[in-house]
Amino acid sequence: MRAVFLIAMREFAENAKTKGFWIGLFLFPVMIYGSIIAQKMMNESTPTRHFVLVDQSGGYADVVRATLEERYSKKVLGALLEYRMENAKEPMPEMNAESLESAPQGSMMGGMEKALDSLKLDLGDSMDPASIDQVIAMMAPDLREDRPEFVMPRPDFREVPLPESIDRNGELVSIAEGLRDYLRGDQTLMVDGAPVELFAAILIPENIDLAAKQPVGMAAMLEGDKPGIQYWGTNLADTDLKERVSRAIQEELHRKQYVERNLNSAEIAAVLDMELPVGSFNPNKEVGKEVVSDADKIREYAPIGFVYLLWIGIFTISQMLLNNTIEEKSNRIIEVLLSSVTPGELMMGKLLGIAGVGITMIGVWMGSLVAILKLNSGPESKLAGLLWDVLQNSGMIPVFIMYFILGYLLYSALFLSIGSVCNTLKEAQNLMGPVMLIMMVPMVTMMFIPKDPNGTLARVLSWIPLYTPFTMMNRAAAHPPMIDQVGTLILLLVSVVVAMWLAGRIFRIGILRTGQPPKFRELLSWLKTS
Amino acid sequence: MSDTVLSFENVSKTYGDFRAVDDVSFSIPAGSVYGFLGPNGAGKTTSIRMILEIIKPTSGKISIFGQPSALAVRDRIGYLPEEKGLYKKMRAWSIIAYFATLKGLDRKAAKKRAYELLERYGLKDFADARTEALSKGMGQKVQVLASIAHDPEFVILDEPFSGLDPVNQEVMEDVIRDIRDRGRTVLFSTHVMSHAERICDRIVLIAGGKKVLDDTVEGARRMIPRRVRLQSDSDLSFLTELGAVESLVPADVPGQFDALLGTDGEPLAVVEACLARGIHLSRFDYSPPDLHDVFVELVGDKAKEASYR
Repeated sequence: MRAVFLIAMREFAENAKTKGFWIGLFLFPVMIYGSIIAQKMMNESTPTRHFVLVDQSGGYADVVRATLEERYSKKVLGALLEYRMENAKEPMPEMNAESLESAPQGSMMGGMEKALDSLKLDLGDSMDPASIDQVIAMMAPDLREDRPEFVMPRPDFREVPLPESIDRNGELVSIAEGLRDYLRGDQTLMVDGAPVELFAAILIPENIDLAAKQPVGMAAMLEGDKPGIQYWGTNLADTDLKERVSRAIQEELHRKQYVERNLNSAEIAAVLDMELPVGSFNPNKEVGKEVVSDADKIREYAPIGFVYLLWIGIFTISQMLLNNTIEEKSNRIIEVLLSSVTPGELMMGKLLGIAGVGITMIGVWMGSLVAILKLNSGPESKLAGLLWDVLQNSGMIPVFIMYFILGYLLYSALFLSIGSVCNTLKEAQNLMGPVMLIMMVPMVTMMFIPKDPNGTLARVLSWIPLYTPFTMMNRAAAHPPMIDQVGTLILLLVSVVVAMWLAGRIFRIGILRTGQPPKFRELLSWLKTS
Repeated sequence: MSDTVLSFENVSKTYGDFRAVDDVSFSIPAGSVYGFLGPNGAGKTTSIRMILEIIKPTSGKISIFGQPSALAVRDRIGYLPEEKGLYKKMRAWSIIAYFATLKGLDRKAAKKRAYELLERYGLKDFADARTEALSKGMGQKVQVLASIAHDPEFVILDEPFSGLDPVNQEVMEDVIRDIRDRGRTVLFSTHVMSHAERICDRIVLIAGGKKVLDDTVEGARRMIPRRVRLQSDSDLSFLTELGAVESLVPADVPGQFDALLGTDGEPLAVVEACLARGIHLSRFDYSPPDLHDVFVELVGDKAKEASYR
């Protein structure tokens, strides 16, 4: 046992000293944290988009403006709410984990909206700084003394006047022509004394309402008097503005048509507001709590993350095991070792040492994941909070650790066998080809299995021991049948024992072998001899 | 402690039809330096691996320190394998200490011992170097030190001289003498006879898996007749009539002959006989046989055979 411990310690120490280990250790939390930060930055960094609006029909400019203004006021409200939560003396009751858990799907912000509505009432419709100050003054008793100043968020879109050289009432073609340089960024507009780039131009022709009755192709729009609304812009990726404008105009068109056709627009609006709710219920949940929440959704997909971690974790450290075995073999250190310890002790020591490396790595990953989620589970990142909550309550972490250990043992038996029969890394790579293919399967099926977690594919894969850890992890949220849970676990345990026993035999003989890797028949004969 | 450190009794090891070691018996008394000689492929490494129970003999009995298995006494054995290698990323001292701890030393003692050894054999400055940064000779020294760091009673060195330059070969010889001077037993294999000649008390010579010779160095020398190399324009066949000369055979150089001397034959008798007959000798060479000659004489054919196989 002493020898096993010494070997394990050396394996652990030597592998923990490698650069790869440390890079792997930190890369994961950095990536997670980076993606959270990136998400935040993306939200904050999109600049205010400037656009010009030419409405020769005169019927739509106001609704477009109203829509965009409403959007901005929502943003201000959101910012106010966030400001209030961040600086509250006591955490707001609406945002605790329980309310998230019970919030129906699609209203992750259920609690938020309530708070938003009450804010809206306080604020009224006006978004001017004076009334904002008033609202903040009203909130003040609940806020911390050392809070920072409230900063008004940037508007997403801002209308700018047409350059003076362009005739607002001219042909659309010539207006577009005049704006071309601005839109392409060759020329800038002056707004409030600062140059800005023109993001988009929305051109609405005079007889636009005709187009509703006689739709025309886009190509025809450019040919002069054919009607149609034109959206000009070089950025094809950011379609936010276009969609908002388009929706506002369609709604206004509909409203106008109701009037023109003598339909009662109020009645129609009432009809359109009607909705038959379709709720999602899960029979696996407790009676009375079957409503599917956002947390459930996350619980369903969280296993994918775990499968990925499992895969990376298992193969990173199995690979270490393979490399170390081959190093010892190709250096013939193995002979010195075997003059001091038995092959069994050597194998056990290596297994434990590398397992230590793996568990450290996974531990750091999990720890940092939890830490990051906890630190970021504020209102600005609801997902993190929800994820944290799910992780805490779903029991997936113990399942993950169990499958990690069993999966590692199974694959390490395979890799140890390969390592012990090969003399060089190159030889091993030849043998690794098929193993790689086998290994890719969980990666490929990972995304499909949650969609049909108790389907044929999932069940079949679950019963193949090499895939049991990944597939069962993948299905963890879907309450697989008991027979699958227990049966596959027993099969996996048996496979681990058998694989270890086989690997032990192959290891004992293979480890001293030089020259060509053995033929398959030869391997079989090794297994027979004692 | 028993007086016999190691004994082989009719030990054989076969791989399929190939007999790597064939019915070999010998024993090594405590406190001696034993040379394990033989051409490439003779079965030296296989025998050594059997001693350490890395592989098991097909038949026969090996006993080490009176035990049937090396596993029970492996902490008393030090082993340097034929092919040398070290963990590339480990530091010289830590690799020596690691192997010493595997042999039962505790961590602190092992570390102290590693530094002592490195200092004694001139590697003090490289104690903290990674082994990949060491030259081949230095690496090999480190490995030898690793094999003797736990001060074993019985040291087995497989080809300790291979790959070393002449200076380091001498250092290696010193290492072996140091071990002997501490009263330890050494078994080392080599196919370079001069080393064996200088430091061995006894030698075992095997070829083709069979034991050919098991004797002291002196005894081995006596195994083959001494010879005098002669060259002359005259007929030398009369020499065989002398009591001293057993036979006269043409040497491997044309025109030269080897006079093989009997056990009591004096080289000078050949010269005297020639002078008495007025025969002019253009060449007269006498050197006592060394192990090299013994080796070539006894296993030369087999060695060649092996190299063609």
